[in-house]
Amino acid sequence: MELPETIRKRLEGFSRNVLFDQTRMWGFSKENDAVLSHDKRVLSSLPLQMSLYFNMWFFPLWWISETVMLHFKYPFLSDYYKFILVTVLLLMTLFEGIRLYLGYMGNLQEKVPELAGFWLLSILLQFPLILFQLFNEAILIQPLERGVHIVLAIFILTQAVAGFLALRDMVSHTASQFHLRQFD
Amino acid sequence: MSAISSLVPARFLTIIAHLVIVITIFWSRENNVKASLPLEFTQEQYDSEDQKLVVALAVTLGLFAIELSGFFSGVSMFNCSQGLLSTGAHASASVALLFFLFEQWELDIYWAILAICSVLPAVVEIILFVGVFGLKKKPL
Repeated sequence: MELPETIRKRLEGFSRNVLFDQTRMWGFSKENDAVLSHDKRVLSSLPLQMSLYFNMWFFPLWWISETVMLHFKYPFLSDYYKFILVTVLLLMTLFEGIRLYLGYMGNLQEKVPELAGFWLLSILLQFPLILFQLFNEAILIQPLERGVHIVLAIFILTQAVAGFLALRDMVSHTASQFHLRQFD
Repeated sequence: MSAISSLVPARFLTIIAHLVIVITIFWSRENNVKASLPLEFTQEQYDSEDQKLVVALAVTLGLFAIELSGFFSGVSMFNCSQGLLSTGAHASASVALLFFLFEQWELDIYWAILAICSVLPAVVEIILFVGVFGLKKKPL
């Protein structure tokens, strides 16, 4: 299952222009003038892949804990928080599934748009939701919830950092490949 | 090796389950502290017992840090014996701590659980650290 073409183009443009400075990178790759043949370095990031793999195994544990805790505290919540928490749980499940799939595709197959999509989903959507779950005392945070949310927050943080590094390496590599191809 | 491919996530999940229960006990330790005290107790007695439980939980977290650093750095991730020992120890710890929490056991029992189920894997982890970084043996 591939991302639709328009989304891929937008994410690729975003990675190249907004995230990383083109002029600085081109100067960086000019230092490797000796390597005129195509670079065969593996660009998949090991820390990112480990984080994604263990996150995938941890996700059912998180989901069951969160659903059971929500079920138990549901009668004690105010009406608007009942709606908000059910929505947040559905959204986090959806985002987590899409995020982990895109992260796997982007990292293992070294595809920039998928990895950029994964990184944006993690930083902009999943991270605020997990902070909401951790720090908003009005939703009656239970000790078990604190435990599983802390673990998930650590996963999202490591993926944000490792994902950024992997994305930067991948973008600079594909840019230098594009420029070097002119000499073929 | 298919055994490795299921041992690594199993070990990870049991470590995380143990960690989550330790964090849960940290936030709801009141009943366990009261179970260790006589029926009539003063605030100082409560505070000192509470302090002991906090210290025990902090030591557990420190041993977790040692074991997780060894696991994620690759030193012991693919070592079958350590994986088996760790999975068994942390699974028993999770069940024991579940009873500790729900049945409101006393503090003395926590020290026993700590010794068997947290110290043992951490000590083997340190031995592996010394073996890999000190004696330059292969991590497997």
